[in-house]
Amino acid sequence: MRAIADRGLRMAGPARGGSHPPGPRGGRPAFSSLTPGRPRQPRPALPTPRLLLAALALLLFAPPAAAAAKRVVVIKVDGLPHAAVERFVRERDRRTGKSVLPWFEHVFYERGTRLNNFYVRGMSLSGPSWSLLDTGQHLQIKGNVEFDRYTLHSYDYLNFIPFWIANVGGVRVDMPGAELLDELGIPLLADAYPYDERFMSFQLYQRGNRWTTLQRGLQNAVTSRGIRDFIDEWNTIGVGGRDILNEQQERELIGKLQDPRVRYLDFYTTDFDHAAHHNRDRATQLAALKELDALVGRLWAAIQQTPQAAETALVLVSDHGTNTDERVYSQGYNLVKLLGRAEGGGHHVVTKRRLLNDYALKGIYPLIPLIYTTTEESFYLKGESTTYPTALVDFDGNERASIHLRDSDLNLLHILLLELRRGKLSEPQRRAAREAFFQTLERRRPGWQRTFDELREELGALRRLIERQRRLVESQPKKFTKADADAGRDKEARREFARLDSWTGDERKYAAYAQQLANLLALDPARFTPERVRVEDLFAPGAMGDANTVRQLQNYVVGPAPRGLTLDIGGALDYEKSFRRVNYFELLARIAVLNNVQPGVASRPVDFSAVRVPAEAIAGALGEDLRADEVIWLYGGRDRQALVLARTGGGLSLRYLPVADLRQGADGRVTFTRAAWGAGLPLKLWEDARLAVPGGVSREAWLSGWRTDLEWLRAAHRTAYSNAVVGLHEQLGRHATEATDDRAPGLAEDERLLRRFRRRQRELVETDLLIFANDHWNFDVRGFNPGGNHGSLFRVSTHSTLMLAGGERAGVPRGLAVEEPYDSLSFMPTLLALTGQVEDGTRPVQALWRMGYRRFPGRLIGEIFEGRTDAPAPVADAEAAP
Amino acid sequence: MTHVNPKRIARKVFSLALIPLLLVSLAPRRAALGQIAAIVASDEDVLPRTGRAAPLFRLERTPVGREGELLTVFGGLGGPAPAAGTQQEVPLVSILRDTLGDEDPENDRLRHVWMLTYTRPTAWQRVASAVPFLYGRVGGKRASAKGMPPAVIDLAAPERDVWQRFMWLALQNVLINPHGAVAKSSSSALRANSERYRQAHILRALAILSLYEAETGERSPFTVAEAEEIQARLMLADQTFGGLLDDAYLERVHQKQHSQWLDTRGHNWELLRQRAEAEGLYFEPLTLPDGEPTHALLWVAREDLWKHRRRKFEKRFLNIAKPWGDRRLERWDGHTERRFYDAENRPVPEGTMGARVVELIPLALYGLDHPKIPSLLVDFRDGRNPQRREMSHRVIEDVARHVLALSRYGDIHYFLGRTVFDFVTSRRGMDINQPSRVRAYTQLKLLLSLDATLDRDLRREIEKRVERVSLNPLENDLEAEARIARRQYEALRAYAARPDGLAARLDRDRRAEMVPLAHGRAERVLLRFAGVLSLGLYKHREGAPAAEVRAALDRERKLAHHGRFLRKVSKSSPLVEVVWNVEDVRRSLRFVAESGARAGASTAKAASLIFARTHDAETRRLCLESLYRINNETAKRELLAIYRRPELDAGLRAVTERYLRDALREEQRIAPADAKAILAAVGR
Repeated sequence: MRAIADRGLRMAGPARGGSHPPGPRGGRPAFSSLTPGRPRQPRPALPTPRLLLAALALLLFAPPAAAAAKRVVVIKVDGLPHAAVERFVRERDRRTGKSVLPWFEHVFYERGTRLNNFYVRGMSLSGPSWSLLDTGQHLQIKGNVEFDRYTLHSYDYLNFIPFWIANVGGVRVDMPGAELLDELGIPLLADAYPYDERFMSFQLYQRGNRWTTLQRGLQNAVTSRGIRDFIDEWNTIGVGGRDILNEQQERELIGKLQDPRVRYLDFYTTDFDHAAHHNRDRATQLAALKELDALVGRLWAAIQQTPQAAETALVLVSDHGTNTDERVYSQGYNLVKLLGRAEGGGHHVVTKRRLLNDYALKGIYPLIPLIYTTTEESFYLKGESTTYPTALVDFDGNERASIHLRDSDLNLLHILLLELRRGKLSEPQRRAAREAFFQTLERRRPGWQRTFDELREELGALRRLIERQRRLVESQPKKFTKADADAGRDKEARREFARLDSWTGDERKYAAYAQQLANLLALDPARFTPERVRVEDLFAPGAMGDANTVRQLQNYVVGPAPRGLTLDIGGALDYEKSFRRVNYFELLARIAVLNNVQPGVASRPVDFSAVRVPAEAIAGALGEDLRADEVIWLYGGRDRQALVLARTGGGLSLRYLPVADLRQGADGRVTFTRAAWGAGLPLKLWEDARLAVPGGVSREAWLSGWRTDLEWLRAAHRTAYSNAVVGLHEQLGRHATEATDDRAPGLAEDERLLRRFRRRQRELVETDLLIFANDHWNFDVRGFNPGGNHGSLFRVSTHSTLMLAGGERAGVPRGLAVEEPYDSLSFMPTLLALTGQVEDGTRPVQALWRMGYRRFPGRLIGEIFEGRTDAPAPVADAEAAP
Repeated sequence: MTHVNPKRIARKVFSLALIPLLLVSLAPRRAALGQIAAIVASDEDVLPRTGRAAPLFRLERTPVGREGELLTVFGGLGGPAPAAGTQQEVPLVSILRDTLGDEDPENDRLRHVWMLTYTRPTAWQRVASAVPFLYGRVGGKRASAKGMPPAVIDLAAPERDVWQRFMWLALQNVLINPHGAVAKSSSSALRANSERYRQAHILRALAILSLYEAETGERSPFTVAEAEEIQARLMLADQTFGGLLDDAYLERVHQKQHSQWLDTRGHNWELLRQRAEAEGLYFEPLTLPDGEPTHALLWVAREDLWKHRRRKFEKRFLNIAKPWGDRRLERWDGHTERRFYDAENRPVPEGTMGARVVELIPLALYGLDHPKIPSLLVDFRDGRNPQRREMSHRVIEDVARHVLALSRYGDIHYFLGRTVFDFVTSRRGMDINQPSRVRAYTQLKLLLSLDATLDRDLRREIEKRVERVSLNPLENDLEAEARIARRQYEALRAYAARPDGLAARLDRDRRAEMVPLAHGRAERVLLRFAGVLSLGLYKHREGAPAAEVRAALDRERKLAHHGRFLRKVSKSSPLVEVVWNVEDVRRSLRFVAESGARAGASTAKAASLIFARTHDAETRRLCLESLYRINNETAKRELLAIYRRPELDAGLRAVTERYLRDALREEQRIAPADAKAILAAVGR
């Protein structure tokens, strides 16, 4: 999905100061006013009595110098495992007798608070993980790369280079992740601070781009060194582009610390993540950590030299851990090749990462297009890899992979059409094939017709939105003063153009898909002449169509049967015998490699697959007792299956249900048999000695009940799969936002349609199969990551780092180690609470509410605030939020 | 009339003359294991099949007079270490440590490193190595080595390599090249072969010392700093400006290079495993005693030859012929192994319940330390295959340079074409025109010596084949090398025992080390120039009495030691006491404050930085004292800058003022502008 918001109903009223309209994007108007259907609180001209009372209470009871961080500096470290930090902080340097990470110890262990059990909520993958940390809201971005099933549009949240180029061209202002969250009405942490009061480094959810950083980085790389150092470092040791950028960003951040107006600063580094992907050895990882340690020291020292030191909090946070072990190389398995092979379905596969990128001449091209991996083993689409890819794979992470397969019925129709066009069928076969073609079409007609009708409505609303946006873009000033630039107004104007550009692209692509759907639906059996239709008119090139059902994935049509179309006794097409089919669950679970050369690494690369099962399809089989709003099926083999059930009304409750023989019938109903608890089930909870069920309750009884997400976290966080039950729901569940809730009362029709369109776009990137790798396996095929990987739900990969320290008035306890487990959703509310910007732990203050922030689903890290008699003094105005 | 450029005719004639040479050089060569101890080639199999029980290495200390010692690493290259002194044990690397006759490690200096298999070539080897396009061995050195063997590097003077390189470059261009293509190509070949020969031995020394360090760990007789210095200097030896690197960077060099090698190794391990898996071949990593896999074998199952006869084979990265349907494999009577695998495809011992048996035929052996791609070292079906790949880069280079007289710097077309060609072959990971696989060979030979798990027949097969790949006429065969190593070590010991031997050389080295103490920069440049002009025959040395030299070097080395430490401290942390033991820092500052008048500008800057980066009053006071003691302009400029700091407390300001005044009074070196400023600030 790309940016949509109803410009006609957008309010641009200044919320603070009046110098510029604050909002999630700094210079952008408050998001709460962007979505017209949202029941907006009418802004009272005068404070209400309730607000007056609150203000009075604050004045009366708040201590004169209430402890609250007035400034926050966040070091964002990609892929920093807590265990690595803990291990090395405890290790003494033989030469000095100090910790080998002395600054970590000095700042966070002695003068701050650290969380010993801080986990990713969801997969341990950078794109999704940072979105949780940066928003404090449930997961919307489900992978580093996402594909739209209808349009083949790819969202590449990690790739800076296309963003930089688009930024130079003026067509994009923010990284794709930030753009998408804007569209969903979810502001970032940095958005809580006006443009000129924050300093953002280059990162995944980046707003704007400072070209001067690149330019000055290059200059300083040469001029900041003496000639001797230059020779030593550049010629002998080597300094890479990332070093130059990091150095310059650090320089700029330290410079910004001198500006008392700047209250939010962050620094993003991927160095440890890169080192751990490449090298498993202790020395390399320690060297990367030492660099980080030195950075902590430099930033801490720089903060201490500013007048705001006492009120500054330094926070170090990571998005996930890393599965790295000195004794083991992480082994890759090529799912793309598997899908291309006959046994895998003979798919032409689309990826967003080039296979063996470092060995390809095309790999030097910075604008990564869609990569098509052609197979010679396709059963009916030979030579048509760029027109009809039938699988999309995202393997980033790389301990997991997401796979989209083309709607199996589209394959079936496509095969039948090709067979009919070939003219080699006997007349009975031909008649049966025609019948089967239209039978299938009729079976799917209701769903496709509904999609077409809805899309038509939504695209109508989108076109009207585009027209309004076009007028808005034309009305934007063409030139900006320095004051405008300093306030970010130039970027805001360019953002309007970026939105227009994005929506225009969406409209064009979806319209094309809708047209082809219409063509298919318009086929009339009486006038149907297969030889005269163009295949591309009926089957949208590149489109995957609707998501496959469990039944389809268990009986996926990959080509005509070797003996061609077969008729049954009645002369009708025998669907079973006429097509080659693949059961993808079994296929993936069956994969085993020939070379099993490392002790402790299994010969099976795939641990289990996870799919979302429509709750209504399985409701009958579950019964009332097990009634669930959302259902996820985990398949690790014939005798290794389970369901994760979720009830979402009135707080999240989750249940793990061992099952067997799950199937979906032709009528869509899902059936299964209950299985007993035992070892070997997905997530291996039963046999994990570290599962901590409450005293007095048997393991079976506890595991067989409905538990809240917090109960699951507390009981399971030390197990091998840690908070995987919660994480699976976070990853595969649907989390509505105001911007996708088209059922909210009082919405204007266009807004309702646009919200539905946004929701559709999010659902279109949901994959058919989410595949998790076994321990020390990965699915990276862009290159090799023998050092280690992440992406899975293993504790080693989800156990992340969060540490805080601050000056004496920043309100961060000293020498505190928090043992209570927390997850990513706790980060944002805790940070905002530390700066006095949330009330009762989850509700943003009015100023933030107006900017689009909403109640945070995560828990506050209470230990930080325990024993404090003083309420954090709000930095923003402290009106009560609705 | 057509004018034909005589140079072109000469090139043609020369090229034609070179063709037979080229063909001869392509012929398979006799045993060429130039980089491994003799035990590997001996008929008697001494590698037991069991795991290693005793240390592989032993260190022997030999005193050198009363002021130095020779540290020699012996390797039990027959697998697990045999008893000391038996024939299986081979002296491998010797390092000379100049201790100045005391126990204080601060004034120790590591000097020469001898890789004991590295020797002076015979006359015949020299001649052969000067023959262009002669890519192969010409026989081992038979005569016994006499006198002191050649060292591969002087750790105390690494910059010498850089100057020598430039000197040879100048000589080549100014004196030799004008004499025609023959002189040019011969001298180039001679130099290239010598460099490669030395590089191979440096790499071997590095591998041995690295393994030794890994095995001994904290028990190593080398301090952490010494171990890093040795390894980093050896790593830098083949880099153009490596010898000029400041000692303060050695730790980083060692860490970065080591990480890079491990990265490459892991990368190649995984690349090869995946390729083997994709092609249905069996992958077997081979590890050195420290547990690091450095090589890997690929096998094919005999039963699969028939089963997969119609299967496609993608040879990219594997660089071997298709095994399916290969008659040579179908009739294979060479080494095979029966292996047993369980249901999870794990290798299991014979007799394991449910295990399946597979007869494996070796296909190829690869080195995992080669940049970007695993390098093919042994092709069991085609012995010349690795040799051709190793040769490709050299042939292209030599033909272009010596036959076609093309230069990258003189011909834009060649420059562009070659750049594209190099880029494509490198980027695509093609195993031609790649950097030499000398490191992989060096490691392989060590591995063959140290890995006790390799089947003896297989090891012999590998040894036999790997010899063919040797391209350097200077290399000696395996038997000769072991003999050379032992004799050179004996010669070195004898030399160390003679009063006019190693001890005298140590004394000469010290006198050379004294030169910077007695001469200014300009004089030193002139003295070095004299050395260059005399082709290295003249080397200036100071003539002070030995005791005086010892005392001066003791001071100088300690000052260098403390200066290096202070530079490291100053650069490493914004608050010194968080990272360092403050007493260590004080100790170094105290030394500079007491005896640091000769310390350089970098030490002065370090003291100034430390002053700014500590809250420790004593350390700050020592920084000021050091800056006062260091007699150079930078020190006084830094002292003045500190004095001018507005936040400086009164006590320290008074101390600084006193030091500045004393410095003026003592007429220390102060820049005129600074002197004026000091006068204005503190008065006379």
